[in-house]
Amino acid sequence: MRASDEVELKMLYYMKLARELETRIERKLYRQGKIVGGVYVGRGQEAISVGSVIHSRSGDVISPCHRDMGAFLIRGVSPGRILAQYMGRKSGLTRGRDGNMHMGDLKHGLIAFVSHLGDSVPVAVGIALSFKLRRQPNVEFCIFGDGATSTGAFHEGINFASVQQLPIVFICNNNQYAYSTPLRLQMNIKRVAERAAAYGIPAETIDGNDVLAVYETVGRAVERARSGGGPMFIECVTFRMTGHSAHDDARYVPQEAFQEWAKKDPILRLEKALKKKRLINGQGLKELDERIAREVDEAVEWAEAQPYPEPQECLENVYYAPELEGAKTNA
Amino acid sequence: MVELTKKQYLDLYYYMKLNRLLEERLVNLYRQGKVIGGLYRSLGQEATSVGSAYALEPGDIVSPLIRNLGSLLVKGVKPREVLTQYMARATSPTRGRDLNVHFGDLERGFIGPISMLGDMISVLAGMALAARMQGKRTVALTYIGDGATSTGAFHEGMNFASVQKLPLVVIAEHNAYAYSTPTSKQMNIKNIADRALAYGIAAEIVDGNDVLKVYEVTRRAVERARNGEGTMFIESKTFRRKGHAEHDDQRYVPKELLQEWEKKDPIDRYERFLLDQAIAAGAELQEIVERINQELDEDVRYAEESPFPDPETALGGVYAEEPKTTTVPGD
Repeated sequence: MRASDEVELKMLYYMKLARELETRIERKLYRQGKIVGGVYVGRGQEAISVGSVIHSRSGDVISPCHRDMGAFLIRGVSPGRILAQYMGRKSGLTRGRDGNMHMGDLKHGLIAFVSHLGDSVPVAVGIALSFKLRRQPNVEFCIFGDGATSTGAFHEGINFASVQQLPIVFICNNNQYAYSTPLRLQMNIKRVAERAAAYGIPAETIDGNDVLAVYETVGRAVERARSGGGPMFIECVTFRMTGHSAHDDARYVPQEAFQEWAKKDPILRLEKALKKKRLINGQGLKELDERIAREVDEAVEWAEAQPYPEPQECLENVYYAPELEGAKTNA
Repeated sequence: MVELTKKQYLDLYYYMKLNRLLEERLVNLYRQGKVIGGLYRSLGQEATSVGSAYALEPGDIVSPLIRNLGSLLVKGVKPREVLTQYMARATSPTRGRDLNVHFGDLERGFIGPISMLGDMISVLAGMALAARMQGKRTVALTYIGDGATSTGAFHEGMNFASVQKLPLVVIAEHNAYAYSTPTSKQMNIKNIADRALAYGIAAEIVDGNDVLKVYEVTRRAVERARNGEGTMFIESKTFRRKGHAEHDDQRYVPKELLQEWEKKDPIDRYERFLLDQAIAAGAELQEIVERINQELDEDVRYAEESPFPDPETALGGVYAEEPKTTTVPGD
């Protein structure tokens, strides 16, 4: 399944937008003290969420992780709302109740991730089960990291998904560090994809910095899942180009690894490929960057103007309220 | 085929037969209302318990599951200990505080199982790690059922054991049913041994109804572990010929399967082997059975004559009375 020219340009836009938005959050707003809580970015890993989630249709549900900004943007969450979320404002996705990437919006088919990595997997599997029970032709996109695959929650969830042959795609972002734990201290296998053999799930390992490869592979998996073929496991090999979060200087990561992976930057790679195909030229890229910078400028301005939630409303929308009834997964 | 001394061959016979006859006595006591709580049989699975535990050396540690009574007998547990446990008498190892095989003895190298299946993998991995840190050459052995390999505890324990290359041997007793759930509804793989691929752990499949084969493969795994070559996973293919417990009539198990597995009875098979190979004469085997029956007569009498614990002592021995340092046994 190859991407059309239009889709390729769209993916370039979303990857760049995710990068610019995260850069603004991490390197400007955070340092200005305008962000409430921590900052987790997916710099250098944008190809994974963008190349995957671009396949999602209305009614599909995405369970992203904290490095999947692209998923939110593709599903139509505005940069302004995301910034408001990071700044703890009332207009953020959680209305100031939670911070940073701990956000979801069922209207956009996005489930907020559970902080305890791996725990989102059974949740995502449950959503896929609901699709099957309701005979909905939808697919669940479940994204998680390498470290999460060592958790019991991952094991129980993925095993169940395979037994039930659910419409779900497991997308593993193997960025080679679970906080400060390198892969080799996390598991005694070379490829995370080897985990899938324990469940009878077909698996592939791909270059996670090649958005076209991600697009092609996930596209096949989504089609397979949508047509009742069951789950698939895709390991996207990439590298975490930052610390675990903005407060972590990642001194435990060898400098050469950063240098080596900087050369494999997924955005630069896609730019090069699209230039070669003459889909875009230098001038076009410049205009695209300017457009994105403007979009983010406007979003920052909007978010900064948003009010904080009122202390007296702090219990609202924390517990279930009937007015949220409309926000169903099949909306 | 492994070569054993005549004494060893007859030991294996003795323990399997003792395992079965002791359980048969327990069934009678259960029907007389003298057993407190449930009764869990290992009919047809005796070869797995006995063959594997027999491969251990003094100083090694084993944790049985509910169907591994045979492993305890090999470790030196006397029928009267098991009988008083099942009958909750004051003379039992837990002084009537806990039941059946839920007791341990670090001196003799076994610890009581946790009822939540799967949890013993992490416990035994921890004991193997502790022993190694103490400079001992102890090997840890534990069992897991097919169903428990779907638990998160199994996954986390196995992964950790492999990363740390711990001297642990895990026997997956594939008896085809997790309570009433057949393996096909529990996992989407044919061989549980495939689970090991996810951890980079060496795995073997063995006929669990052949005591010599079980002994042989476990012996290799134990030696391997003792030599620092890490964890090993053995799938022992067998069948649960009784319900989950005595109160379960297992109407969910097809009759043909029960008939088929009855023909593969591990004790009948081993008896034929001993006679065919002229390792023992029929009269010798008969003598062993008589010795067991005598021992059981005596121990049943002992258990029945034992008092129940005094209600006033109920709290004694439940909490630690004084701090005691526990060390892992070993050389």
